[in-house]
Amino acid sequence: MAGATSALFLLDMKGRVLIWRDYRGDVSSAQVEKFFSKLIEREGDPASHDPVVFDDGVTYMFIQYNNVYILTAARQNCNAASMLLFLHRVVDVFKHYFEELEEESLRDNFVVVYELLDEIMDFGYPQYTEAKILSEFIKTDAYRMEVTQRPPMAVTNAVSWRSEGIRYKKNEVFLDVVESVNILVNSNGQVVRSDVVGALKMRTYLSGMPECKLGLNDRVLLEAQGRATKGKAVDLDDIKFHQCVRLARFENDRTISFIPPDGAFDLMTYRLSTQVKPLIWVEAQVERHSRSRVEYTVKARSQFKERSTATNVEIELPVSSDATTPSVRTSMGSAVYAPEREALLWKIKSFPGGKDYMLRAQFGLPSITAEDSAPEKHPPIRVKFEIPYFTVSGIQVRYLKIIEKSGYQALPWVRYITTAGEYELRMI
Amino acid sequence: MPPPPPHRPTSTSTPSGKGELAELKTQLRQLAGSRAPGVEDLKRELYKKVISYMTIGIDVSPLFSEMVMCSATSDVVLKKMCYLYVGNYARVHPDLALLTINFLQKDCQDEYPMIRGLALRSLCSLRVQNLVEYLVGPLRSGLKDTHGYVRTVAVLGVLKLYHIAPNACKDNDFPAMLKELIHRDGDSQLHFSFVSGGIQFFYLMNNEHMIYMIKDFSEWAQCLVLEMVAKYVPEDPNETFDIMNLLEDRLQHANSAVVLATIKVFLNLTMSMADVHQQVYERIKAPLMTLVSSGSPEQSYAVLCHLHLLVMRAPVLFSSDYKHFYCRYSDPSYIKKLKLEMLTAVANENNTYEIVTELSEYAANVDVAIARESIRAVGKIALQQYDVNAIVDRLLQFLEMEKDYVTAETLVLVKDLLRKYPQWSQDCIAVVGNVSSKHVQEPKAKAALLWMLGEYALEMPDAPYVLEGFVESWAEEESPEVRLELLTAVAKCFFRRAPETQKILGAALAAALSDAHQDVHDRGLLYYRLLQHGVETAERVINPPKQAVSVFADTQSSEIKDRIFDEFNTLAVVYQQPSYMFLDKEHRGAFEFSDDTSTNASVTESSETMLASQSVDANDNDLLLSASEKEDTRGNLVSNGSSSYVAPSNSLIDGLGSFTVPPAASSLPTASFAIDDLLGLSLSTNSPESTLAQPSLVLNAKPALNPGAFQQKWRQLPVASTEDYGLSSQAAANLTGPQPLLKHMQTHLIHCIASGGQAPNFKFFFFAQKSNASTGLGYFLVECIINVTARKCTVNYKTDESDLLESFAAVFKSAILNFGV
Repeated sequence: MAGATSALFLLDMKGRVLIWRDYRGDVSSAQVEKFFSKLIEREGDPASHDPVVFDDGVTYMFIQYNNVYILTAARQNCNAASMLLFLHRVVDVFKHYFEELEEESLRDNFVVVYELLDEIMDFGYPQYTEAKILSEFIKTDAYRMEVTQRPPMAVTNAVSWRSEGIRYKKNEVFLDVVESVNILVNSNGQVVRSDVVGALKMRTYLSGMPECKLGLNDRVLLEAQGRATKGKAVDLDDIKFHQCVRLARFENDRTISFIPPDGAFDLMTYRLSTQVKPLIWVEAQVERHSRSRVEYTVKARSQFKERSTATNVEIELPVSSDATTPSVRTSMGSAVYAPEREALLWKIKSFPGGKDYMLRAQFGLPSITAEDSAPEKHPPIRVKFEIPYFTVSGIQVRYLKIIEKSGYQALPWVRYITTAGEYELRMI
Repeated sequence: MPPPPPHRPTSTSTPSGKGELAELKTQLRQLAGSRAPGVEDLKRELYKKVISYMTIGIDVSPLFSEMVMCSATSDVVLKKMCYLYVGNYARVHPDLALLTINFLQKDCQDEYPMIRGLALRSLCSLRVQNLVEYLVGPLRSGLKDTHGYVRTVAVLGVLKLYHIAPNACKDNDFPAMLKELIHRDGDSQLHFSFVSGGIQFFYLMNNEHMIYMIKDFSEWAQCLVLEMVAKYVPEDPNETFDIMNLLEDRLQHANSAVVLATIKVFLNLTMSMADVHQQVYERIKAPLMTLVSSGSPEQSYAVLCHLHLLVMRAPVLFSSDYKHFYCRYSDPSYIKKLKLEMLTAVANENNTYEIVTELSEYAANVDVAIARESIRAVGKIALQQYDVNAIVDRLLQFLEMEKDYVTAETLVLVKDLLRKYPQWSQDCIAVVGNVSSKHVQEPKAKAALLWMLGEYALEMPDAPYVLEGFVESWAEEESPEVRLELLTAVAKCFFRRAPETQKILGAALAAALSDAHQDVHDRGLLYYRLLQHGVETAERVINPPKQAVSVFADTQSSEIKDRIFDEFNTLAVVYQQPSYMFLDKEHRGAFEFSDDTSTNASVTESSETMLASQSVDANDNDLLLSASEKEDTRGNLVSNGSSSYVAPSNSLIDGLGSFTVPPAASSLPTASFAIDDLLGLSLSTNSPESTLAQPSLVLNAKPALNPGAFQQKWRQLPVASTEDYGLSSQAAANLTGPQPLLKHMQTHLIHCIASGGQAPNFKFFFFAQKSNASTGLGYFLVECIINVTARKCTVNYKTDESDLLESFAAVFKSAILNFGV
C-alpha cells in the first residue's frame, strides 16, 4: 500500500516554517527547516531542482507558489504522482479561501489554515481536497459567527464534489471550449512537434442536484448512432474527465453525463496529436553588420481561414542581452524593446487570416564584449495569440441538457477559442 | 525567527520571558469558569495568541492545564485550537496528556457530530503509548456512530491505534468490526477511509467487492483501491480480463495519480501474459503522453519518471513516439534530463538521424548542463548504433564550435567511439588534431585528448610536439589523472616515433619520478624499470595490441531494474532505486504486518494468497521484456570475454546479491563496470613481479580467476577475518566513482572482480593470488564496503591460504590506506 506522508509544511522563501501540520510524528520541523534552507541556499533557485528530494531517510516533495513553498515530508515509500498532485490541490484550496496564496495571507489566517490542514489530510492520507466542500464547514473569519457545527452532507455523500441545497435565482452554465496549440519548429524551419490540448472549462451556477448531459460531434458516437458524418465529426485522441463524469457510461455508449460541482471546473481535457499547420508562422533573419550593429527582419504570416481573426498577438523575438539603441519599423502593430526579457515584443491587436506582416529592427551593439561573458542561450521565438470562435479540432458542442427535479430551465452558454500554448520557433 | 506573529490584539511584544506566559496563564484562568457574555470571543483571542506562539516555536506547554480548563465550550473553532494545542504537546508531556483524556472522552459523546469526530481524531492522534486503553471505548462507539463523519474518523482511528499498539487492536476485535462495517455501510466516504484505514487489515480480502464500488470513491481513495488491486492475483486469465475491462475507464480520469495506479494494475496483472503485456504498453501510451504534456511541471516530472522506466524497459515500443521527448525551451532542467535519457534509449535505425539533429540543437542552444548532457546523449546513441557515420560528423562539428565545454564533452566521446570503432580513426583524428590544447581545460577531456595523442601518434604528425607542450607544463597540471595519462601517452608515442619522442620521454619520466602523487611516481618508476629491462618488453606491457571494446557495461543490473518495476508508482521509480536502498528499516515493513493480520483475520484466504503471490514472483522472472534484456546482457558478456578484463556475469551478480550485508549500510550490491584499459596497463602480458609487495608474501601479477570461480570460492570459504579501516579525507575525496580505487589497487597487484555503488556507498570485490601458487589455489578474496561520508571501510577477507592471511591483510591495508595519499 502506498506510503503515508509524515507532515505538511508551508515555508517562506528562505525555507523557514510558516505553519506546519504533523500527521505521524516522525519528522521534526527543525530538521525540515534546516534541510530546506540549505537546499535553497545551495540551489539559488530551487524551482530548477527536481521536486522530489531525499535527505537522511526523509523524502521531501515540494512546489512553489508565489512566495510560499508547500512541502510534504515522508519517511515511507509514498506515491510521488499523487503527492505532487495533492500539493497542487492544496494550493487550490488555499486560493479559494484567501483569494491569493502568499505568505501574508497564510499568516493572517493561520487558524483557518490549521483547520484546513486538519481536514485535507489525516494520518498522512489525503482526505477532502474540494474547496467548495471544505468551505461549508470551515469558515473564514468573516463568516465565523454563523458557525455550522454539522458537517455538510457532501463530506459523507455519494457525490463528494457537490453539496445539497444550493440555490441560484438564475440558473446558468458557461462552457468554454479552449484549445491550446503547442508547436515546436526547429532552426531549419521544420515542424518537429505539434499537438493540441483541449479543455472544456465549465462554470455552473445551478440549483439543486442537476443532471447534465453533454453531446459533442464525436465521431465514434455519431457513427454508432448511424448519423451522417460528413467531415463534421472529430476524433479525440485521449480524453480525460473530471471525477464527476460517469466514466463507465462513457465507455459504454459515449454519453457524457454528470452532476457538476458548483462553480468553475474542467469538465474534460483531450489531446490531438495530428500534425497541425502552424497558425501563425514567423520567420526571422538576423544580419550582423560588423561588430556594432545587428539587424532583424521578421515576417509573420497567419495561416488560417480569412474569416477568423487572431487577437492579442504577441511575438517575442529574442535579442542579445547587450543590444542597445533599438530602432524598429513594423507594417502592423507596435513593437517595444523589453531589455528585462532580452527580447523585442511585437504586439498586433488584430491579425486576420491569410495576411503577412513585417518588422524590421536594428540594434546597436557595444564595441567591446566582456571576455568571460556567459555562453549565449539562444532562446526561441515565442508567439502568443487567441483566435475566438475557432477550434483547430473542429469540436462542437451539439447540446448541453440540464435536468433537475424541480424542473427549472437553465441557460447554457458556449464559447470557442484557440490559444497558443507552448509555441516555439527556434532561430538559427 | 519569523516576524512577529499575526493577530495579537493587545500586546505588541513577543513573550520575552516568563512574564508574558504568566499573564496569559492568569487571563486564561479568569476566563475558565466565567459565563459572562462575550467570554467566548475573549477566549478565542487568547487561544489564537497561544497557537501563534506555538507556531513560531515558543514553548507554551506550561499553559497546558489552563488551556484544558478553558476547553469546556461549544465553540467549534475554540475546540479545534485546543485539540491542536493538545496534540502538539501531548507526546512531549505524556503526564499532561493524561489530563486531556477526560475532556476528549467527554467530547466524543457531544451532541454535535462535528465535535464528536474532531475529538475522536485528536484522541487517536495523541500517540501516547500508555493511553491506549482509553482509546478503545470511544473508538468502538465511534465505529457505530450514527453520523458518517464520525465513523470515517473512527476507521482511521483504528489504523492509528494499530500503528502504536497492534495487539490492543486485535484483542479488541477491531478487524472484525471493520469488516462488518464495510459490508453494512453504503456510505462511500466511509469506504474511502475504510480503504485508507482498513486496507492494512485485509488488503486482499474483499477486493473484488471494492473494484465494483470504485466509481463511488473519491479520487484519493481510488488510488488506494487500485494500489490494492495491483497486489491481487487473479485465478485465471478471464478474471484478469474482467478486472481490466472494469478498470479501463480509469485511464480517462483527470487525476494523474489514478491513471498511474491503473497502469500499475494493468502491468502487474499481465506480467505472465507476454503478448497482452505488450498490448498494455500500447494502450497506456496515449494517457501517459497526455499527462506529460498537461499539468504542472512537477506533475509531468512524476509521470515522466514512470514513462522513463517503461521506456527503459521496452525502448522498441516507444521508438515511434520520440517526438514527445523533445525538450521545450521552458522545460525545467530536471525534465530535460529525463527526456534526453529517453531520447537516447529509443533511438534506432529509423529515427537516429532526426533525434541526433534535435540533440545537436540543444548542444548549441540551451544551458551548459543540458548542452553537455545532449552531447553525451549523441555519443551514447553513436555507441548503440551500427551506422554512425552521420553521428561522427556531428560530433566533429561540435569540435568546430570552439566552445570549451562542448569541446571537452566531445573529446571524451570521440575517445570512447574510437575505442569501439577504431576504423574511424582517420576521420576523427584529422579533426582532433586541429583542436588546440589550450581550449581543453577539464581533466577528463585532457585525458581523452592525451590518450588519442598516444594511441594515434602515427596519424597525427605533430603529436610529439603537442605532448612536449604538455610535459613542459607538467608542474602546473593539477590533476593526477591527467599526469598519469600524459606519462602513458608519451611512452606510447615513444614506441611509435622513438627519435622525436626520446627527449620528451626522458623529461616525462624525470617529472614523474619526482611527482608528489604516489600513483604517478609508481608508474614512472615502473616504466623506467621496464624500459631498462628492454624496450620490447616495455612495449608489450605498456602498449599491447588492443581489442575494440564491444560493449560498455551497463551500470544497473536487470535485477535492480525489475525490483524498481515491482514498485511502480512509488518513490522507487523517481529515485531509480528499489525502496530498500533509501528507506529506513522501520518504514519498509508495511506489507509484513498487513500480511500478518490478514492471517489473523482470515486464515484460509491468506494462505492461498501467499501461494499465489509467490507464483507471481516466479512469473516476474519470466517476463518477456526482462528476459530478453537479460539475454542481451549475457550475449554481450560473451563477446566481451576475450578482452583482458571481464565484467562479472549476471549469475555472479545474483550470487553476490544473496549475501550482501543489510542494505541500509551497504550500497548497490550489483553494479558492475568493465575496467577501463585507458591507462594501457594491460595484464595480458607478463610483467615483472612487483617490488611493492612484502617479502614474505609475493603476489602474482597476473592471477587468473574468472567470475564464476570467484563466486564459487566465495561461497565455499568462511570469512577469515573482518577489519574496519578509516580512510583519509583525501581518499574519500578521490573516491567519486569506483574506478580510481580499482586502478590504485591494481598497482598493488590486487584486482577487482566486481564493483558498484554510487557516492557515498561503494562496494568492491577484490582478489589476489600468491605468486607461484598451483592453479586454483593461493587466492585471497576480499569484500570491501566503503562509505565515503563516514570515511569508513569494512573489509571481509576470505582465503584458502590462511597462513599468509595476516601478511596479505597488511598488504591490503597499506594499499587501501595509501589511496589518495
